[in-house]
Amino acid sequence: MRTLAPALLLLAAAALPAQVVTFKSGERWEVNNPFQLDAKGQPVVDAKKARFNTTFDRLERKTTSGTIEVVANRKMEEVVQIEWPAIAQLDQARQMILRGEAANALELVETVLRPFDKVKKVPGSPWVTAAIVKLDAIDRLDNDAALAAFLSALESVDDGSNAELAQKIKLAKLIQKARRGEHAAVVADADGLISQFDGADTLARLHILKGASLLALKRYEDAMNTYLRVPVFYGSQQEHLPKALLGAAKAFRGMDSPATKSQRLGEVANTYLRELVATFPVSVEAEEAKALLPREDRQAAEKAQSGLPTQGAAAPQ
Amino acid sequence: MARTASRSYRLAHAALLSVLVALAALPASSPGQAAKPAPAKEEESPTQRLWNEAETALGKKQYKAALDLFKKLEGESDKAGLPEMAKAAIAFRQATCLYLMAGQSKKTEDWAKVEEALKGFLAKYPRGTETLLDPSNNMRGVVRLSLIEVYANLSKWDAALADLEALRRPSPEIRAEDRVLAFVLTAKVLEEKAKGQSEPELKLALNQAMNLLKQVTAAGIGTSESREAANKLVEVYTKLGMAKEAEQLRAEIEAKGGGSPAEMVRANVQRLEIGDARFQAAEEASDGKARETLYRQALASYQGTLRRAALARALGQAVESKQAEVDQLNRLYAKPDDNQKALIDKAKEEVDSFKKIQAEFTANKDYDAVIAYRIGLCLLELGRPWEAFVAFRDIFQNNPGFEKVSGAYYYYIDALRRIGRNDEAQKVSRDFLQKYPDSPEVAPIAVGLGEICMEQEEYDKAIEQFRWAKANVRNLDPQAQQEIDFGIVRALFSNVDWAKARAALDEFLAKHPKSPARESALYMHGLTWFFEGRYRETKASLEKYMAEFPNGQYQADVLYRQGIVALNVQGPDEAIAIAKRWLDKHGKSKAEAIVAQVPELHVLIGDAHTKKAELLGRKAGEAEYKARVTAAPGPKAQHMKAKAEAEAAKEEQVKASIEAYLVAVRAARSNPQVLDFAIGEVNKLLTGRGEQRRLREIYQELYDWDPKAPKALSYLYEVIKATEKMGDGAEFRARTEAAQSRFGDLLAAARRKVDTLERAGKPNTPELTQAKAEVAKLSDDLAKDLDAVEADRQKSIQAARQEALGILGAALKSSLNDRRQEGAERLVAFLAEKLARRIKRVRPGQEPAPDAYTLKKAEADLEATMGVTESSGSLIAQARLYYGKGTLALLARDPARAESMWRRIADLYKAEELSPGILGTVGDYLASKQDPKAEAYFAYIAEHHRSSEYADFGFAGLAEVRLAQGKAKEALAIADEATAMGITLSKEKDLRFTRARALVELGQFDEAKKELTYISGVREWRGETTSGCLYHLALIEEKQGRMQEAVVLHQRNILAWKKHERWVARSYLRAGELLAKLGQRDAARATYQEMLTKDRVKDTPEAQEARSRLTRI
Repeated sequence: MRTLAPALLLLAAAALPAQVVTFKSGERWEVNNPFQLDAKGQPVVDAKKARFNTTFDRLERKTTSGTIEVVANRKMEEVVQIEWPAIAQLDQARQMILRGEAANALELVETVLRPFDKVKKVPGSPWVTAAIVKLDAIDRLDNDAALAAFLSALESVDDGSNAELAQKIKLAKLIQKARRGEHAAVVADADGLISQFDGADTLARLHILKGASLLALKRYEDAMNTYLRVPVFYGSQQEHLPKALLGAAKAFRGMDSPATKSQRLGEVANTYLRELVATFPVSVEAEEAKALLPREDRQAAEKAQSGLPTQGAAAPQ
Repeated sequence: MARTASRSYRLAHAALLSVLVALAALPASSPGQAAKPAPAKEEESPTQRLWNEAETALGKKQYKAALDLFKKLEGESDKAGLPEMAKAAIAFRQATCLYLMAGQSKKTEDWAKVEEALKGFLAKYPRGTETLLDPSNNMRGVVRLSLIEVYANLSKWDAALADLEALRRPSPEIRAEDRVLAFVLTAKVLEEKAKGQSEPELKLALNQAMNLLKQVTAAGIGTSESREAANKLVEVYTKLGMAKEAEQLRAEIEAKGGGSPAEMVRANVQRLEIGDARFQAAEEASDGKARETLYRQALASYQGTLRRAALARALGQAVESKQAEVDQLNRLYAKPDDNQKALIDKAKEEVDSFKKIQAEFTANKDYDAVIAYRIGLCLLELGRPWEAFVAFRDIFQNNPGFEKVSGAYYYYIDALRRIGRNDEAQKVSRDFLQKYPDSPEVAPIAVGLGEICMEQEEYDKAIEQFRWAKANVRNLDPQAQQEIDFGIVRALFSNVDWAKARAALDEFLAKHPKSPARESALYMHGLTWFFEGRYRETKASLEKYMAEFPNGQYQADVLYRQGIVALNVQGPDEAIAIAKRWLDKHGKSKAEAIVAQVPELHVLIGDAHTKKAELLGRKAGEAEYKARVTAAPGPKAQHMKAKAEAEAAKEEQVKASIEAYLVAVRAARSNPQVLDFAIGEVNKLLTGRGEQRRLREIYQELYDWDPKAPKALSYLYEVIKATEKMGDGAEFRARTEAAQSRFGDLLAAARRKVDTLERAGKPNTPELTQAKAEVAKLSDDLAKDLDAVEADRQKSIQAARQEALGILGAALKSSLNDRRQEGAERLVAFLAEKLARRIKRVRPGQEPAPDAYTLKKAEADLEATMGVTESSGSLIAQARLYYGKGTLALLARDPARAESMWRRIADLYKAEELSPGILGTVGDYLASKQDPKAEAYFAYIAEHHRSSEYADFGFAGLAEVRLAQGKAKEALAIADEATAMGITLSKEKDLRFTRARALVELGQFDEAKKELTYISGVREWRGETTSGCLYHLALIEEKQGRMQEAVVLHQRNILAWKKHERWVARSYLRAGELLAKLGQRDAARATYQEMLTKDRVKDTPEAQEARSRLTRI
């Protein structure tokens, strides 16, 4: 197997969709993927394909004819179209955020942002996708200054030509508002944006932001309704489910009162918390959920996580 | 549950598919679409002109005109000497026109004309149009495929399948793409042919179609034709319930597809169909786990479907981008040649087709609602009613015009009921009935309206709801009307409104003589008499039921009722006979209703024996009376004998009665009403007979059924009561009576002797002295005997008390370790109360007697009874021990000891380790000492025990803590939340007072004044808080610059609430300060001086300040 591994890697590499950029002239270059690493962690390089220069402001392509090597250069500004497959590092960064390793995620996402810095708005540029991951990481770090700086960086490149970028900027502004505690405004703005936006990911984010503000305003029923829309309508957006489930559980807790005792809302809240711990055990929210769970349930959840037999905890729905 | 997709959804769905089929299938199968324009010539001949005119008409969709022109051209073709390929092209175009016309008219005769034309083309032109219309397509394949479609439209399945078989064979004449489409068409034809046939036949056809499509997709789905085949295969998989395969293939198509709007829409429709297939499979699955998995999968399919906005945006973008392509081509080729023109036309056609899809999609307003509806159903089935509730609400908010909105309401109401929101369910039901009076769900919702109340046993409300439905809901079908009428009857009946229920039953039986509820109605009719105690009418009514329904479902109950009637009319023996007959006939049944009735029969037997005992008791009484009034010894003895016999027989009947009631109690676990009655009878009888041990045994049995049940505590109290009474047993009374009787005669004789001697006038004789000594000795002996009995009795009582404590301790032990058992604190308090009663109180500073029962001993007993020590057992058990000791100390009037217990709890346990009761009690103590830990305790209650009976402790305490921290805004928010959530309970006064003070702090004086005035006005709250209110009212005046008014209020407080130094001291201080500010220095001095003379106030911190001020004035 050891001898086969590199061959398999190459085969796998060959099977992956290629990265192609199109220049103003109409010329199309295949580009080496700087994020695709071999077994030793080094970028996989195909000599026939172009590669980024060290400062990421140019693409270089070498062609060899006999003993003559010709190097062609193109400025990144000349790129008008990018075709780039999904970048694994962004998924890793998302997972890191989910686990609460926001600083590491931020570091990783920066490596993805850098090569595309000059082509942020070019159609197909992975920069926008990476930017939203960065936004998530900054949000998790609770760093208002970093958020403000990144937002102004985003705004400086927004000329309205990229709808997705414009959406993300609005989202980031909303996050800022929520941080400032302007919850009523967040709710109103989120409502407006929800009716304008259509991407499942963005909508899930907006609902979570709105839910959090409703929770802060102690509008528990509305918060529950908002948070639960995420698992109900955007259930495929797994990365947002932990926040939504946690928010819903908190909302149920808020709704609990002697008048609603027959609805057993405390138990409904605990069910969501248990479900969160069982389904997303390594998420930051699972840790918070465990802290919110009654002692016996928390101990059962911890035992279940460590593979020991559990007692006293109800199975998640 | 019957669930169907909305009609508009289906129509929209069908419309989308037809567009897709047209897009994908027509280029190959319709002759018209595949043709390219004829090459232009430099000089236009008449035939060329005619051709061009015909082509233009065809392009403008003027098919009839085009057909006429092509026919004219055909007539001139020989004269013009046109080559074969041109004649073939003309024939092809004519067939095209006919095909398109038939497509519009959909008339069989038109399709027959197309068939003739296509067949003619194939027969006459073996080389087809050669290269004239398309260099690589002579159109024969297209025509053959079109012919098959025509066959399909004419339902000539066999002809279609025969032709398709030939087309599927490899042949140089048939292009590869056409062969692929032949497979697709075959699949379609097979499916169409099987429509309307039996399920196995349809399944067979689908399997054949699947195999064919698998052949053609096996080589990959790289071309649009093979993707079309794959799409068809997804449909077939879905119809065959192979959702997994369908899902996988759909994902593959999506990956390989070009992302065109058509593909996007189709992929979405497929997702919905796959979801439907999974939902259907889930509905049919018998295994619970498999059902759940299938519902989850269906849910995932629906959730993966793009929502309307996303799809609309994608479609809009596709149209825009295609339009941009057209514009660019127009700019590039200002004077296009034929090829360029063809390119532009193709792009334009694509724009049109995209727009058509967009228009179809825009027209389908229900798209999102359809998805939400399906998601809601899946969630309901998956037991997630809260999420289903959210899904259905989305429909009402965003798609109120959804065609299936009534169905959505129906399930929404179901979700509301499942989450326990019955009032809201009723409100929604009413709104629905008024808003959608013609919907098919009107009947179940109207009936459900009352049923919700029936479930909650709110019968008056149920009647109101049923009547409302009857009066306000139009278009109720007769069955629903009948259900509602019967609902009213049931509600009146359940409301024990017998006369009204009977009247309603009479009306119901007359109005609905053939109702399926007739049997129940007749039976209930009998019962209305029965429950009124009118047994003769009951007998007649139940006999009517028996005659009409000899094998009816209420036979058992009717027989039981007849037994009761017999008890009251024919006599107890007949009742016992009927009860025994009932037990023989039904006693072994496992039916729930019968099992629940078994104890009632035993109660009947018990009642019958009791009645017999009463009769015998009366007989014994009469005999005794006769014996008393009879002087002759013979007859007197006879009467006495009769009395003894009657009493003996009565005793037997009482015993039998007790036995029957005990059996009833033991059988009544599922019948609480009978249980209550029977245990009541047992209690009465056994207590009267002093049989405490038996009583304790039966109560212990009841307690052991479920120690956590709401009634368990009352059973436990009875156990303890009986145990304690057991100590004072009947044997002590008997022993006392025996001793008294034994000494009674002797003492009487001795006293008589003394009397006689004294009356004889010999006062100091030795005889008299001896007689008197004899009386004294007998008295002493009697006293000694009685003392011995009493000592034994006391010993027995003590032992019984100890035993009772043991029982209480055992009960406590079972709930002691469960933090969430709120009843445990009540038991601990009960135990503490019992122990506290025994404590011998002594004055402060005095030492109790060495053998006295002290608080220390009581604590030791508490520890022993609870079976836990301060260092053993679970954390909550230990905490409960401290709680018990604290409560004990409070009851023994030792607050310092109580405080030390609360302090230990606070020092040793985290909030999460304690129960809400302890958290509340200790939290209050900590707050009174300004201990910061109070905050954690209160916060934990507010977070985790919001529906507990101690929730108010959390909110009130937390608000107070926040206020003390200077966070008035937060305090106000907490108090407001508690009020909004109805968590004020026993702490309403505190919450309001905190709220008022927070409002003062925040400068909201009007609102604060209102609140303070309200609190002061509540008579039950008068006391320290009233004094606090006055102080704060004064503060409001002061803050608003009305110093004099403030002083008056402070003075009022000082005068009216002297006892409450907390606020009075402050009032003194503020009054003094204000008077000084007003320049009334003498008055200020007098105020401070007066303050320092008051015992309650003079040692307060405020008094210290007053002293210091006095020196400064």
